[in-house]
Amino acid sequence: MDDSQATGLAAEESVSPRADFWSSFIWIGLGIAMLWMSLNMDRLERFQASIYTAPGLVPGLLGIAIALMGVILLVRSVNAGALRQRERKPLVLAQHWRLIFSLSLSLVYALIVVASALPFWLVTAVYITIFVIVFQYAERRAKAQVPRGIAVAVVHGLLAGVLIQYVFEELFLVRLP
Amino acid sequence: MFDGLIGFAHSIWSFSSPETILYALGASLVGLIIGALPGLTATMGVALMTTLTLKLPPNDALLILICTYVGAIYGGSRSAILLNIPGTPASAASCLDGYALAKQGLAGRAMGIATSGSILGTWIGMFFLALFTPMLGEMALKFGAYEFFWLAVFGVVISGNLTGTDPLKGWIAGFIGLFIASIGQEGMYAYDRFTFGVHDLSGGIALIPALVGVFGFAEVLNVMKDKPQKFIINAYDTVIPRIKDVVQYWRTIIRSGLIGTFIGIVPGVGEDVAAWSSYAAARRASKEKAKFGKGSVEGLMAAETGDNACVPGAVIPVLTLAVPGSAPAAVLLAAMLIHGVRPGPLIMVENPTFVYDVVAMMLFASIGILIYGLTLTKLLVKILLVPRALIMPVIFVLCAVGSYAIASRPFDILVMLVFGVVGLILRNLNYPMAPLVLGIVLGDLLDKSLRRGLNLSDGDLTPFFGRPIAFVLFMLVLLTLLMNIPVARKLMGQGTALLLRPFRRA
Repeated sequence: MDDSQATGLAAEESVSPRADFWSSFIWIGLGIAMLWMSLNMDRLERFQASIYTAPGLVPGLLGIAIALMGVILLVRSVNAGALRQRERKPLVLAQHWRLIFSLSLSLVYALIVVASALPFWLVTAVYITIFVIVFQYAERRAKAQVPRGIAVAVVHGLLAGVLIQYVFEELFLVRLP
Repeated sequence: MFDGLIGFAHSIWSFSSPETILYALGASLVGLIIGALPGLTATMGVALMTTLTLKLPPNDALLILICTYVGAIYGGSRSAILLNIPGTPASAASCLDGYALAKQGLAGRAMGIATSGSILGTWIGMFFLALFTPMLGEMALKFGAYEFFWLAVFGVVISGNLTGTDPLKGWIAGFIGLFIASIGQEGMYAYDRFTFGVHDLSGGIALIPALVGVFGFAEVLNVMKDKPQKFIINAYDTVIPRIKDVVQYWRTIIRSGLIGTFIGIVPGVGEDVAAWSSYAAARRASKEKAKFGKGSVEGLMAAETGDNACVPGAVIPVLTLAVPGSAPAAVLLAAMLIHGVRPGPLIMVENPTFVYDVVAMMLFASIGILIYGLTLTKLLVKILLVPRALIMPVIFVLCAVGSYAIASRPFDILVMLVFGVVGLILRNLNYPMAPLVLGIVLGDLLDKSLRRGLNLSDGDLTPFFGRPIAFVLFMLVLLTLLMNIPVARKLMGQGTALLLRPFRRA
């Protein structure tokens, strides 16, 4: 095994040129928006501030740099065949249910914690219980252990909810939302 | 020299209370478990522990964070050896020979090599931490706005260049980090930038919630998106390190320790690059090249020594320049600021004993990993088999509560969520996260230094290129950029060959 192979093992999966093509537009757009907003920022000249200390100076330069790198990414992705790839794989949401579910459940949990008056330990216990039940369901069903799996999830959720609330509120004196 | 030794002895004595030793051992264990569990990284561990140690005295809190950091980098080797899955990115190089040894029924010996390599690596790094920090601190006193500007640019550029597989994407991530740092009130006139009238944005994006999002929430989602794997753990022999392995490969240990420490000092690069570089250097110098990747003791020793030597190395620029050498060191820097410690060029003037306190903390961490390396193998194997579905929701709750706990702002939970989702998307598009984090840390320094420098020189750019340290940093930035342009790289190669021709003839 040579060094490049060794380094390659650490490398992440390669990304399609098409993904780079579309992301380059985001960077170009962001860079241009930053530059435009920076140019429109107050230069505070009425306070005798030097033009070199204007608040928009650095973000403006950063905007130019990001837009420029976006253009290089765009050119590179086109050269790599971003426009030649015509066949599109249809997105099957069911294949990504694990990500969609964990993301949605976590977002709902965080929003309930921030915005509702429900006790923290209860919301946390419910979140953890649902999370564990859903992600362990297939394995538990295969072993005919669904009721046991639910019991484990409930106990785990309750313990974690109560313990985290106790540690933060009683030991660290943080008033939880 | 003797002042340093006396300072170090004093620091060890000050940490020698039962309570402090308990903190050190507990934190090393937590770090080890976090590092050993695939999907939980050292950065996430240190970030979560920062939120859990807010109410502790500064020295105790930092001791816990450093022990967690060292423990996590060491812990990653466990899953690399036993499961062929790096517990942290730093342990990826250890998979090659560690798992090959495990398949030969020598997992215990591999763990012993990892333990000895990690401890010796930490000690080599500690030695240079104690040696270089006062020297670099002295040099850092010569830094002005021009030098700090180039240092910030260099940090982002070199981190973008070395931490991912695509330098362009690394630089984009770094510059996005610099942009994120510019959100909120700027440091000169308290002028609101990119806040869109949102009051909470005026305070800027806090580093810890952003880091917890990028390295915590994104990791939770990343782990949960894939089907759980069935882990098979090979039988293992004794985990007690062999003195023969250490004596036989002493050159590899010293070389890897030096490489790891040096890479640690380079801003934002981190332990994974240190491990791979040490591994590659060991292979080049080895008489047993063919064994590498097939269960080479030397290869595993090099990787483990290199990544752990990087930890004290990464703390050197934190203390002297307030610039992190790695992503977990960025969290450490934020934690120091939260606890009222002001790292930077004046640290040897204002708080000279603190440097030796940090060295003593590293020593306690290395003792922790030695104890657990010898004793807790069975427990760690059991922990490795705990289903991810039980751990990940608890980690997410800690991410949410930890982000909130720092300033009791619900807004920080939203920051964590946004950074988690964006971090996941960017990682899947192959954008490395270390430059992004470094950009957030260095953004304020870059902003103030450029504007202050231009103001001092009245718009004249000469001091940015004319002062010796600024010029060296500028050249490093330029060379790093040019090395990634094929035409420029070819020309530089030809130029170097032309320059070296007379020497080759001689």
